[in-house]
Amino acid sequence: MVYGAWICLLSPLVAACAITLGGTRQSRRAAGYLATASCFVAFAGAVAAFIGLLGRQGGDRQIISTAWTWITGGSYQSGLQILIDPLSVFMMLVVSGVGALIVWYSIGYMDGDDEERRYFAYMALFVFSMLLLVQAGNLLLLLAGWGMVGLSSYLLIGYWHERPSAVAAAKKAFVMNAIGDATMALAFFLLIQKGNSLEFGILGGQFSSTVANLVALGLLGGAVAKSAQIPLHTWLPDAMEGPTPVSALIHAATMVTAGVYLIVRTHAIFEQAPKIADLAAGLGALTLLVAGLIALVQVDIKRVIAYSTMSQIGYMFVGAGVGSYPNAMFHLMTHAFFKALLFMAAGIVIHALVNEQDIRKMGGLRQLAPKTYWAFLIGSLALVGIFPFAGFFSKDSILAAAMAHGGWYGYLLWAAGLIGTLLTGLYTFRLFFIVWWGEPSAFVREHFHPLRRDVVGISLAIPVGVLAVLSVVGGWIQFSPWWHPVETWLQTVAEPLVSPESWQEWLSIALSLLLGLSGIAVAWSIYGAKRLAVPRIAWAQRTLEHKFWFDEAYDAVFYEPAVFFANLLRRGIEEPIISDSGRDLGDDTRDLGGLVARAQTGLVRTYVLAIASSVAVLAVVFVIVK
Amino acid sequence: MTALLGPEISWYLAVSGFLFATGALGVLLRRNPLIVLLSLEIMLNGGNLALIGFSRNLGDGGGQIFALAVMAVAASEVVVGLGLVVALNRKRVTLDVDRLNTLRG
Repeated sequence: MVYGAWICLLSPLVAACAITLGGTRQSRRAAGYLATASCFVAFAGAVAAFIGLLGRQGGDRQIISTAWTWITGGSYQSGLQILIDPLSVFMMLVVSGVGALIVWYSIGYMDGDDEERRYFAYMALFVFSMLLLVQAGNLLLLLAGWGMVGLSSYLLIGYWHERPSAVAAAKKAFVMNAIGDATMALAFFLLIQKGNSLEFGILGGQFSSTVANLVALGLLGGAVAKSAQIPLHTWLPDAMEGPTPVSALIHAATMVTAGVYLIVRTHAIFEQAPKIADLAAGLGALTLLVAGLIALVQVDIKRVIAYSTMSQIGYMFVGAGVGSYPNAMFHLMTHAFFKALLFMAAGIVIHALVNEQDIRKMGGLRQLAPKTYWAFLIGSLALVGIFPFAGFFSKDSILAAAMAHGGWYGYLLWAAGLIGTLLTGLYTFRLFFIVWWGEPSAFVREHFHPLRRDVVGISLAIPVGVLAVLSVVGGWIQFSPWWHPVETWLQTVAEPLVSPESWQEWLSIALSLLLGLSGIAVAWSIYGAKRLAVPRIAWAQRTLEHKFWFDEAYDAVFYEPAVFFANLLRRGIEEPIISDSGRDLGDDTRDLGGLVARAQTGLVRTYVLAIASSVAVLAVVFVIVK
Repeated sequence: MTALLGPEISWYLAVSGFLFATGALGVLLRRNPLIVLLSLEIMLNGGNLALIGFSRNLGDGGGQIFALAVMAVAASEVVVGLGLVVALNRKRVTLDVDRLNTLRG
């Protein structure tokens, strides 16, 4: 079991190193197969760990395996250790399983790219980083994995480095994430100062409320940055510059879910700081509404799905914030399935339309790609949370938990979640009807080319098929009113704080199903049947198209003042004092040299005179002094 | 070595000083390099005379040995100096030290 976990962790790293070192000695496709195989090996390792844990009970289901002591300083020490417990195994299964499918899919999607080997090395590195994050046995190692996820996302988002927009998006993602990394590091410093340890156990210790609040706030900062929640969310839509499988990997199985994992993993400190936990839930609720609204007007197929990711992570934050950890994790899992499915189905569309992503040029694809149509439909229904697809089971229990949280705040979160369901139905099926229904557009008729039954077509189709099945059945493992194995499984790690009443469950289920369906109905009447015109409200549309002016606001608040200040320093200090002083020093030295050089007349006789007179003066001085 | 008979040391020094001053003035005032070299020799000889005078006065042979060393150096210096003068003359450069001011700063 312990070996399984280590194999799970290390096999993607080995693949990344092997692909990098192998260089051009391996064929491009071999690199792809190697990366895919390593992820499947990781999945097998995770399954082994899972089976191992199944054979144990209660408190025994927590094993820390230390490779060696990593850092020692004074009385502080951290080991290079992994933690195997129900939560980490849960994440290992999701990350390596969905990750393996996405890497496999990449073999087809990236076929013919110039730098496939680099791509697959990055992908394997990404999966490794994420596994390190979820398996880390202490907070320090978790931070290392956290940072490496940021690094590999930077590398992958900027994979097409000849595109300036991709490079800019990569930098943006990295900088936004670095803010979160910094707040986390600060929280850890505080923990070391107060508790002299970064073991997970320290979080359950007694802290003063200020310390608990600060630590929780720092961790929340990291979670918000990594999971693209307001206010650090702006990197995520831009991250669509990366190849589509990268988007799927970042958005479905890895990276953005890390924030949710972090909150659940460190829930002990959030329970000591209930205000911060409420803040997390509030940010989640705000994000799910804002992202849902923005998604309504996006015209890039991947961006619509990206905003839906933000929105769904918002649900998870609500769940984790109100203390319904198992439901947050469950939604994380089902979301991994259907979001990967949506991205990869969208990837097939993009692939078939020669890299076109603008949905205004699409339409009527149903007749041309019927299988992908069904996959996309399943993903969409699962996203909206329609019975019996995966999202239905996970999303509704989060809403019920928000209701059970109680008070006006709980009901506010609950209402936000319900409105979010309506929005989800609306934007998901807007996308769906525009892309798939109607008659094929001129652009589609001209450019569409179906998948062939070769390696490319098969490696694109099979992962999508597997995920389509998972998006249907993946949610059945837990239905909160009646059976909840996920909750039981995670009980020893994260005991939920809220237990919704039966009526709260059923009310949430009924309302969210109703609202989701009505969202679909509205989308259908506007975009499917075209019975209603799209409502046009100029200012609202402008606000949404500018994504609530977050980018502009950050430009105005951070970028512009920084540039202004830097220019001020350049004009006031750098140029006059630092760079000019160097030049002046040189000039003055040269002038002085010119002055001294005048003494060098070149006339021997003046030299002689100088010598003679100097000697005479010296002689006189000697005589007098004596 | 005992002190010998003869004029007082001050006489020797006077002649020595006269010779040195003559040489120094020659170096300062004359512009022909040949004469400058000649004046240099006179300065050296002035110095030698002082050395020998003191040697005799103090009854110490060191001064005479030193004078011999000065003569040897003077001889080699004259060789170099005259060689330079001949080389300058071959290049048809005017033999005037004030014109040789290429090293002016």
